[in-house]
Amino acid sequence: MCWRFEEAHEFRAHAREFLSDGLARGHQVRYIAPGDVTALAGDLRGIDRIDEALDTGAAQIVSLDDQYAVEAAIDPAAQVRSYAEATRTALAAGYTGLRVAADCTPLVRTAEQLDAFARYEHLVDHYMTTSPFSAMCGYAASAVDEETFAQVACMHPNTNSPLPGFRLYADHGGTALGGETDFVTGELFSKALDRAAPRPRDGQLVLEAGGLEFLDHNSLLRLAGYAADRDAVLVLRTSWPGAARLVDLLDLVDVRVEAAA
Amino acid sequence: MTVAELPPLGRFIHPALFYGTDEQYLDGLVPFITEGLERTQPVAVAVPGGRLRLLREALGDAAHEVTLIDMEVAGRNPGRIIPTVLRRFADRHDGVHVRIIGEPIWAGRSTTEYPACAQHEALINLAFAGRDVTIVCPYDTSTLGQRALADALATHPLVWEGSRREDSDRYDPRGVIDHYNQPLPVVADAAEVEVGSSADVRTARTFATTHAHRLGLPAGRMADLQLITGELVANSLRHGGGSCRLRLWRDQDHLVCTVEDEGHLTDPLAGRRPPVPQQFGGRGLLLINQLADLVRIHTTRHGTTVHALLALSS
Repeated sequence: MCWRFEEAHEFRAHAREFLSDGLARGHQVRYIAPGDVTALAGDLRGIDRIDEALDTGAAQIVSLDDQYAVEAAIDPAAQVRSYAEATRTALAAGYTGLRVAADCTPLVRTAEQLDAFARYEHLVDHYMTTSPFSAMCGYAASAVDEETFAQVACMHPNTNSPLPGFRLYADHGGTALGGETDFVTGELFSKALDRAAPRPRDGQLVLEAGGLEFLDHNSLLRLAGYAADRDAVLVLRTSWPGAARLVDLLDLVDVRVEAAA
Repeated sequence: MTVAELPPLGRFIHPALFYGTDEQYLDGLVPFITEGLERTQPVAVAVPGGRLRLLREALGDAAHEVTLIDMEVAGRNPGRIIPTVLRRFADRHDGVHVRIIGEPIWAGRSTTEYPACAQHEALINLAFAGRDVTIVCPYDTSTLGQRALADALATHPLVWEGSRREDSDRYDPRGVIDHYNQPLPVVADAAEVEVGSSADVRTARTFATTHAHRLGLPAGRMADLQLITGELVANSLRHGGGSCRLRLWRDQDHLVCTVEDEGHLTDPLAGRRPPVPQQFGGRGLLLINQLADLVRIHTTRHGTTVHALLALSS
């Protein structure tokens, strides 16, 4: 889940709700945000038996001020490995999984940070589809402009914002495409595709596009070109009739449209 | 839309063939086809369904060597005939003389369709100038009106009638293109919305589908309308001054989807060239031509209006 918030208290309220639900499910939970740890503990007030959870380690607080050097880009793969290790540790300690609510606002300040973080978002999304790890990422509208937010939001299956209109996200070992992509989102779509970097299997690049509502011809040509560059046939699984129509009209021989599951 | 200079036709042969009976139709066209086959030239026939049956029967086994195309389907929208019928066939046979029979104008064409048909006939001269191709266009003098027959003399440099073969002394394709570049009617109760920026594009598509549903567009054509609206609006925002007005209404048995912007479409063959392999971009108007049952355009230095029509019967 990718959450754009106007006021900090909105994010805190959603984080409390998300982490409280995690604790009820027997997960270990982690709250990550910029600021002093004591102050961050105050953000979690209201969660049932939060003091006990903090004492036992069922709930943890991490200040972004400690964890990340200012303006350093994360290493996407290392970051996912780190969460995979933390999830294994949580499971070993008897928890049912790990859940994180993070205010990621300071992590996308520079172009380099943003690129690394968007790639990480997709990688961790893959990890989440197969592991008892869940996360909610918050971005303050006051510090993260719409264009920047759209770049991370489009890598998530869910967001509370209408931006950017399409979603390219991990789906049970594969990649899914949902929403609407058109000439307005064209450049962003190319960037998202590059960052998600879906890999063909057995000569096919399959996109689960059950949630696809619109795809313009340039986006389809981008996808077809991406698959062709990897010597793969593009398989679009969608129930949106426009996809098959476009494939036919554009004479795309290495693209197949199949019914969505 | 104005054509500044008419390119020399060179080897391109483009006669209008006037006929009044089935017999004259066959007498004029069967030898044209069989002579082509004897010379191992590729031959395609794109004519209305009834005429296609007549020719197929007359050709017998030879019909198997000819590409037969129902013009009432493939050429429903005259705007797509050049790229998806004529050039698609001719381009596949580069290096040899190609023979095509193309009959885009028949008595059943509506008054809304006709101006686009006449412009299409005129534009063939631009699209095929210099090509080693013959395109014969039959005109039924027994059912077509005087206007269509007079326009045929302006859109074709040659006239064939019976054994007569002569130059048309009224050849003026530019005049026909200009003559039918007329303001297009808008109804008073059209649903309309301003598309002021890229932020409005998704809303515009939703607006179009909502009203199309209300106006009776079959569900099977809704994706076509979404794609048409998307391409029309994209063209306007990119090339038409950055904004446009989108309108939808019902005109008898068609849904009319229009955009009006401040751009000027100066390329008379825009949307009528097949894409080159690996082409990215520049396909919008071609796609609209392929998706719509009719496209009409009025363009001047002061703005452009595009009307895309979709039949309401499925």
